[in-house]
Amino acid sequence: MTQPNPTPGVASGDRTGRFVVQPNGHKTPLSPHMGIWRWHVTMAASILFRATLIAASVGLVFIVAWLGALAFGPEAYETALALAGSPLGLFVGFGLTAVLFSFILNGARHTINDTGNGLTIKSATALSNIAVWAPVPLAILFWVVLFAVGRVSL
Amino acid sequence: MSGAVKFKNNVKISERHGGGEWLAERVLLTALLPLGLWVASTGFTLAGAAYDAVLDWFANPLNAGLLAVTAVLLFGYLSLAWKVILEDYVPQAGARKALTGLLNLVFFVLAAASLFFIVRLALGSAPLPAGFGA
Repeated sequence: MTQPNPTPGVASGDRTGRFVVQPNGHKTPLSPHMGIWRWHVTMAASILFRATLIAASVGLVFIVAWLGALAFGPEAYETALALAGSPLGLFVGFGLTAVLFSFILNGARHTINDTGNGLTIKSATALSNIAVWAPVPLAILFWVVLFAVGRVSL
Repeated sequence: MSGAVKFKNNVKISERHGGGEWLAERVLLTALLPLGLWVASTGFTLAGAAYDAVLDWFANPLNAGLLAVTAVLLFGYLSLAWKVILEDYVPQAGARKALTGLLNLVFFVLAAASLFFIVRLALGSAPLPAGFGA
């Protein structure tokens, strides 16, 4: 699986000296180096989606353990419920909801962008801002309501 | 590389299987978005619920069925997602293949365990380890 290396090319409008001819004949600028890349929220959203999936992989172990505790009967379930109600358990639970909302919102952003929509600078930034920031207030709201209606208590 | 390199609108198209994986990722993610909303509402319903209440929830075939579908699609999606992440960050082919295989195995085991537990709960089976030597 060897790709032919991009070869340096001369293209009109090459003010950086970094244009290369891709294997398909396109003349494109080299990707900027990490050190000169300007931070933008679309980048944060992209990275956070991967982070969300990694966190979800870890979090799902807790969900499968919850299913297992249920299948092992009332005593095992009581133990699991006590662990989930402990301060550390509630912290993990909050993380799970934040990850879930992040998955839904960032996944929606990803899906919209994959269909070729929402790719103007303005809309891509707006979608990314929602995907990056909204999961936290949503998760807080989720737990505030759970506590308020007495479904969960310390 | 086998076969002639093909282009569509001057963009190189996938030579073997990349296109199929991309489509699978999109289809799985699209299906998981509404299921994710359902999981959020389910989490709200079942948070702190008593054992009998949770078993009642599982006794509804729609609940158990949707949960089983969610588990299979989600673990399948995560398997593809980890493959992409490893392809980006693990340049050594051997280590990458080993890690991809290991994670596929982990996700397969987690999905199988989920289905096993969900089916038992949906059928109202006696608590484990009933049927396994106890």
